[in-house]
Amino acid sequence: MTTLNPARTGLTRYTLGLPVVLVLLLAATQADFRSTQNLLNFSGQIGALLIVAVGQLFVTLVAGIDLSVGSVMSLASAFAATQSDPLAAVALATALGVAVGTVNGMGVAMAGVHPLVMTLSTATFLQGLAYVVLPIPGGTIAPAMAAAATGEVVGIPAPLLWCAAAALAASIVLRRTRFGAHLFAVGGHPRSAYLNGVRVKAVVVGAYVWCSVAAAWAGLFLAARVAAGDPALGASYALESVAAVALGGVQLTGGVGSVAGVVAGVLSLGLMTNGLNLFGVSPFMRGVLTGVLLLAAVSLQRRRIVGM
Amino acid sequence: MTIKERQPLVELRSVSKSFGQNAALKAVSLAGWPGSIHAVTGENGAGKSTLMKLLAGVHQPDSGEILLQGRRAALGTPAKARRAGVSTVFQELTILPNLTVAENLCLGRELTRGGLLNLRALRHEAVQVLQRSGITLDPDRLCGTLSVGEQQLLEIAKGLHSEADIFIFDEPTAPLNRAEVDQLETLLRALKEQGKLVFYISHRLEEIFRFCDTVTVLKDGAHVATQPIENLTPDALVALMVGRELEALFPERPAHVPDVPALQVEHLTATPHSPPVSFTLRRGEIVGIAGLEGQGQREIIRSLAGAQERSSGTVRVWADGGHNIAVASGSVAAAVRCGVALLPEDRKGEGLYLDLSIEDNIWLGPLRQTPLWRRAPRDPSLVRRLAERMGLRTPPAQPVGSLSGGNQQKAMLGRWLAADVQILLVEQPTRGVDVGAKAEIYELLRRFTADGGAILAVSGDLPELIGLCDRILVVRSGAIVADVPGHSATEELLLGHALRSESPSKATA
Repeated sequence: MTTLNPARTGLTRYTLGLPVVLVLLLAATQADFRSTQNLLNFSGQIGALLIVAVGQLFVTLVAGIDLSVGSVMSLASAFAATQSDPLAAVALATALGVAVGTVNGMGVAMAGVHPLVMTLSTATFLQGLAYVVLPIPGGTIAPAMAAAATGEVVGIPAPLLWCAAAALAASIVLRRTRFGAHLFAVGGHPRSAYLNGVRVKAVVVGAYVWCSVAAAWAGLFLAARVAAGDPALGASYALESVAAVALGGVQLTGGVGSVAGVVAGVLSLGLMTNGLNLFGVSPFMRGVLTGVLLLAAVSLQRRRIVGM
Repeated sequence: MTIKERQPLVELRSVSKSFGQNAALKAVSLAGWPGSIHAVTGENGAGKSTLMKLLAGVHQPDSGEILLQGRRAALGTPAKARRAGVSTVFQELTILPNLTVAENLCLGRELTRGGLLNLRALRHEAVQVLQRSGITLDPDRLCGTLSVGEQQLLEIAKGLHSEADIFIFDEPTAPLNRAEVDQLETLLRALKEQGKLVFYISHRLEEIFRFCDTVTVLKDGAHVATQPIENLTPDALVALMVGRELEALFPERPAHVPDVPALQVEHLTATPHSPPVSFTLRRGEIVGIAGLEGQGQREIIRSLAGAQERSSGTVRVWADGGHNIAVASGSVAAAVRCGVALLPEDRKGEGLYLDLSIEDNIWLGPLRQTPLWRRAPRDPSLVRRLAERMGLRTPPAQPVGSLSGGNQQKAMLGRWLAADVQILLVEQPTRGVDVGAKAEIYELLRRFTADGGAILAVSGDLPELIGLCDRILVVRSGAIVADVPGHSATEELLLGHALRSESPSKATA
């Protein structure tokens, strides 16, 4: 099937070209960039963002937005730091994701609350809860969990494997399952999808659940990497994941997007940060430049609005 | 009759449905039999689509029951209706532009294997359905690139691709050309042979007499008649569709309208595909635009009002001194400066500020001529005079959102009277307005023209146009096909012009 059509995937040469250009630029100018240590660091840095952004993709496909992912990450890291049994931490975090996603999805699909308001409310609530569970950064992460996030398997660093797993799972769901097909249908035009027998509300709830579970796991991943819990761990991820999704050619109006685009978006965003770091730009200036680059990159992608 | 001895496939027993205060269907009963193509027809707003949407699971009846094969059926959602064996081709296109032809065909009933989509089987099935329906489309094409006609064919193919016993086609032929209509006929006959029941909603007489064996006529939400097609002639069918009494609602028409132009429209094409229209609106005249729904009336009036960009053509407004000014395209503000104002059909969405008072809504009219840096003029006596003139008896400080439909229409009219415009473009002048207020609004419109203004009105309500207008332009496929004087217009005559068999040239547009 020609599901690679840009009117469906949002992929343009800018989307895919930007990370390539950034890699070439950095490799040519910064010797440090090419070092194995930096590449290893880099994959660790973008790992959590990639997992969250792939979740955010599902919600944006149905024309939603999830601002609660950051708080979910923080609370999941708090669980990881307060549970000695890694399996219990994973189970708790997953349950958290399912619960938050269900509440968000039902609020949006059934109560008709605007996604921004709905997820901002849950974000605030969960952020508070994270401080209750773990008032200050710290705690201990089970060694098995730390190993899973930092070790390597047959020479491949674990973060890379987790990234690949997240991207692969999302790809399969989007392209090979009924749920995935219905996500595109609902995002294209919810009423038409409904008239064709798609259970629109269930699909929307499913998208939010997927997103929140991804965020919870990203929280575990990040906590394992830094070997501590942090009640403010995910704070920057809500907007960063939306930025990555937008950079990846995903239409925030729904129905257009792809995993490949999100991966490209995450890479671009990560490379910008990494590169500016290597160039020795001050962290404050980094924010300024990232904002400008983001706007420029998104403007360059030709916007295709479908479904009108 | 032998056919009646079998059990009806579907039976609606005294179903009623209201939307707010509007009764869309009043105790309608209807039975459909296997192996039949059953036409459901009536004027605009007769309730045809609502009736079919009950069967399709989109709406639920307020009262009455629906039986499928003699059993009560619960058709709570489109998905449930489909499982119960009802396949619907809706009037609105439901093709999703970001999915491929094959994905659209299989949407809602995707084939899976071990939890995953069976993409190969899905595509194979789509190819077969397309072949069976005789439609040549690439199954991998993204539907956003299809023409409207192709999308409609795909809708039909989608409807056929199901294990349904009952098929509903809601005005399927509007965007189709002649060859495609022939193709549809073949498909419908094949369904009939297989013993299926087809409900065919249309107000095209030609097609009804060509395809269908039974006709049900609805009028104002009530059942008028169900007859075998052999018992009817086209004239008899039109007579069933129209023929309500004209109430004494309308003000008297002036005996003579002097030939002074107010608005001159030359070779206007509202959209790139519509044929050019030319007409002149004279001072003191109310001109109506009639036609079946969606024939381009809205586009014409909107492009005159500046609410929609014109594709080509000129619009001139004649001022007092006999000189004229061209109205710029695509700007409501420019049109208002030339003295042309629109009273939109969707008063709540487009016409009024619901949270503001009557007063404030009226003030917006004269405000248009005030430069942004100037103090807004407020003259309470003007509002008082207008309210009095319009018979608006509510206090001027009341928010417009709390008013009845009739009073809202008056407030909107008051805005333009205060702005001193010369030409009013009115969409559906009395939609959602009760009978008493209707007469008052007609009277106000007539007063406006008697004072030298001119009005162009679009309405789906034929008796209203006949009672109110000096002239009625009938629009079909975007072109003006008749110009009928109001005093000699009848519903039969207008419908005749509006319905006359389609010219093949339209289909290729």
